[in-house]
Amino acid sequence: MAAPVLEPGPTGGRRLERRARQNYEAWSWVFMRLSGLVLLFLALTHFAITHIVNDVTETDAAFVGERWSNPLWRVFDWALLALALSHGLNGLRWIVEDYVHSHARRTATKVALYSSSLGLFAYGTFTIVTFQAP
Amino acid sequence: MSRSPGTVYRGRSGQWAFVAHRITGFLVFFFLLLHIVDVSLVSRPRLYDQVHQLYGNVVLRLFEVGLLAALVYHSLNGLRIVMIDFFPGSIRNEKRVLSAVVSLTALLTAVGGWIIMKPFVEGRLL
Repeated sequence: MAAPVLEPGPTGGRRLERRARQNYEAWSWVFMRLSGLVLLFLALTHFAITHIVNDVTETDAAFVGERWSNPLWRVFDWALLALALSHGLNGLRWIVEDYVHSHARRTATKVALYSSSLGLFAYGTFTIVTFQAP
Repeated sequence: MSRSPGTVYRGRSGQWAFVAHRITGFLVFFFLLLHIVDVSLVSRPRLYDQVHQLYGNVVLRLFEVGLLAALVYHSLNGLRIVMIDFFPGSIRNEKRVLSAVVSLTALLTAVGGWIIMKPFVEGRLL
């Protein structure tokens, strides 16, 4: 998936531009592998706690309150939020770049994608940070 | 277009693994967006509990089993991608690893799915 491609490029300013883009894509490639490995643990643990160990109907507001009385669970959930969103956002960026061919529509799709993800990231962070047990 | 066996990726198992990886990733991402909104209701406990009871409904239980399948496939196939990227020699076993990914996904989804559907099967919940 979107592995970095090293090839002799053009010269001058365009070469620097291309190199910056290649660096960016190479780091995005590394990020997907590292965040993916961490997410494997975080997401499957989270799913096991909320759907397997406990039935989903037991995970009510009191359940969340009890878990979030421990700040480590808030850190766990926030890490899951941040990594899952950024991993998913980068994956969706690859999908948009592969399938949306028109430059204008690609830019518009990305702007919509980035702004909604950023908004939801702020909203999720707000939920975790400001929660007070009743 | 003529095909030379061994070098053409299109239509082979690797391409289907890739397509399934995209689809499962896409679905999990959109569940995450929904999940951020539903958890945000937790500051209003009574409303949160009402909305949350919906997840015990049989339709949404089936949806949760689907989410489990997507999560497990995306996780295990992700490990397969990491394996191929960091240990290029392992590409020789790529097909066997893919069938292990698919079988393990089916097995874990069946076991987890049984646990998720059990309250419904036993008639405790709608």
